[in-house]
Amino acid sequence: MENNIRLSHMSHWKTVPYKQIDNFRDFYYEDKSNNCYFMDWDRILRYHKATGYDGIELAPWDLSEILGLFGTPAEYTAFAKDHGIEISGMFHGCDDSHIAAKHDEVVAAGKQAVDTLAAFGGKHLNTCPGNNFYGNGPLDDEGLKNIASCLDEIGEYAEANGIQVGIHNEFFCVTNKLNHRKLIELTNPKYVHYCLDTAQVALMGDDLIDFYDTYKERICTFHFKDTADSEGVADEIRYAQDVEICDDGHRWFWEPGEGTLPMEELWKHIRDYGFKGWMTVEDDGAPDYLAAMALSTYYIRQVLGKIYR
Amino acid sequence: MKFCFSTEVVDLDNQAPNRNKRESKYFWDELNHLIAAGGFTSIEVPYEPKWDFGGRSGIPRTKRSLAVKFGTVSSYVTYLKENGITDGIACFHLNPGLFASSGILPMFLGAAGHFAEEMIETAAEAGCGIVTLSVTPTYYAAQKLIGEGSEEEFLDAVAGMISGLAAKAEEKGVVLCLKNEFWSLLRGEKIISFLEKVPASVKLDADTANLRIAGVSPEKFIRENADRIGVVHFTDTAFEDKDEAWKSVLPEFPPSIATKVFRDMGDGTVDFEAVLKEIKASCPDVTVVINPRNSYDISRSILRSRWFCDHINA
Repeated sequence: MENNIRLSHMSHWKTVPYKQIDNFRDFYYEDKSNNCYFMDWDRILRYHKATGYDGIELAPWDLSEILGLFGTPAEYTAFAKDHGIEISGMFHGCDDSHIAAKHDEVVAAGKQAVDTLAAFGGKHLNTCPGNNFYGNGPLDDEGLKNIASCLDEIGEYAEANGIQVGIHNEFFCVTNKLNHRKLIELTNPKYVHYCLDTAQVALMGDDLIDFYDTYKERICTFHFKDTADSEGVADEIRYAQDVEICDDGHRWFWEPGEGTLPMEELWKHIRDYGFKGWMTVEDDGAPDYLAAMALSTYYIRQVLGKIYR
Repeated sequence: MKFCFSTEVVDLDNQAPNRNKRESKYFWDELNHLIAAGGFTSIEVPYEPKWDFGGRSGIPRTKRSLAVKFGTVSSYVTYLKENGITDGIACFHLNPGLFASSGILPMFLGAAGHFAEEMIETAAEAGCGIVTLSVTPTYYAAQKLIGEGSEEEFLDAVAGMISGLAAKAEEKGVVLCLKNEFWSLLRGEKIISFLEKVPASVKLDADTANLRIAGVSPEKFIRENADRIGVVHFTDTAFEDKDEAWKSVLPEFPPSIATKVFRDMGDGTVDFEAVLKEIKASCPDVTVVINPRNSYDISRSILRSRWFCDHINA
């Protein structure tokens, strides 16, 4: 029986420098370490399928190397399909969207991202609505409206091209605890959806279950990850400079089930609503993505899967 | 001759187990102690604004990151000296390939020139006397920048940028050197004729593995250009580029056969005894940067480098 939830994995692998390594054994013997296990797309995609994923979400900062190795988006997509993997979506950032004078530039970049994702055959353009809070916040109503205007225009273009734009709010983003719900309300629900990053919403200090219940009709996909800071992060940290990476190695994000978010309760709400579609596991900050991928699918299929799959 | 150790030993660009820790400050704090324990008292810093764009200021590679974490460049140098790097920063290196991805030449030249100038200013503030600039991005990236123009026009534009930087370097009392990786348009001895396009104050960075892969004997290169050598990089390799990997999108990862192009010191086939003999004869006061670039095992590379230096000096 087909699952309601199809699992994808956010590609946080750093540059994967080979398309395919044919001299794998000889390459291994050069160093006799596990480095060679993470250096070609052939094996990376095999790991996706082997650990229960049907999709991969692309990172735009990897595209230059991917296109250099594969030539065209279609060739990468075909290579992934040969491994049983589809392109579920791509991340995008709307830097400077709060600045009215940058509107056209931001929209043009957004439309270009839509075109790129369409060329890869993906569906979800998961979009960070603006810059970091530090240096840009707090926003006034005008700034928030400018962001909404950009998102609406990109979203309308996306819908016409079979793509869904989903707001993806980082916990350190200029749209934050006090106004990220307001931003959602300002956007047109016909064109702008929501990508629920479970950890980011909690880190902002919002109530994950209430957020889901309030916006479940607009949630088109997920970035599914856990946090051990589920009570939220203090304003002075969220609004500070360069907070995503901690000096002492503290991790904001953990694999689902390894943190403290109420995942089973959320899952019951997801079941009750009957969500169907892509859910991207995101394990940024994990030291070993292969282990993180396997841990995540085990939890989702074996623990949460008893509730809904 | 002074030995210095390059923090280019840390690969930030490519996938590797446990890579995530390399973005946090604590990793770099400890790295200083490891380098010092390996008997090196000065470092080379790759000037990589790439990490600034993502707010990764724990990675101490630019003026911005040093300002965020240490307040000023000079405070960072003081911190280094308190943590075993007693001679501070001996060299900075900027590879402007990062700015080539747009494929738009004016954008490339603008960004490369801007950050190279910033590197020179940072070096001066750090009390570092040498900066080295990769003279062109990869052949693959350069072709996109050249577009329908000619290679000569492109190199003339690069020379114009470098001439401006040379003036800045002289003003700041810093020696500007040019590095020609094996993937460069000016690989091997091609860089020699290019020197005629730039001021005489601009020096050469003799990088042993890069010269070797480009088919040039490093010791011969040093001997024949002794008066223009501003810095030497000791890099090792066993790679022979039989399939023109230098023209590929990621030449450090040859598409036809996977291999580690840059090896730890002593693990390749560069004849360092011959190179060292030539340095002692031709340019004995030059700074030698030990660079086990993009190591698979950083601590091991530091210790292997120490063993190598002790052995080669014996």
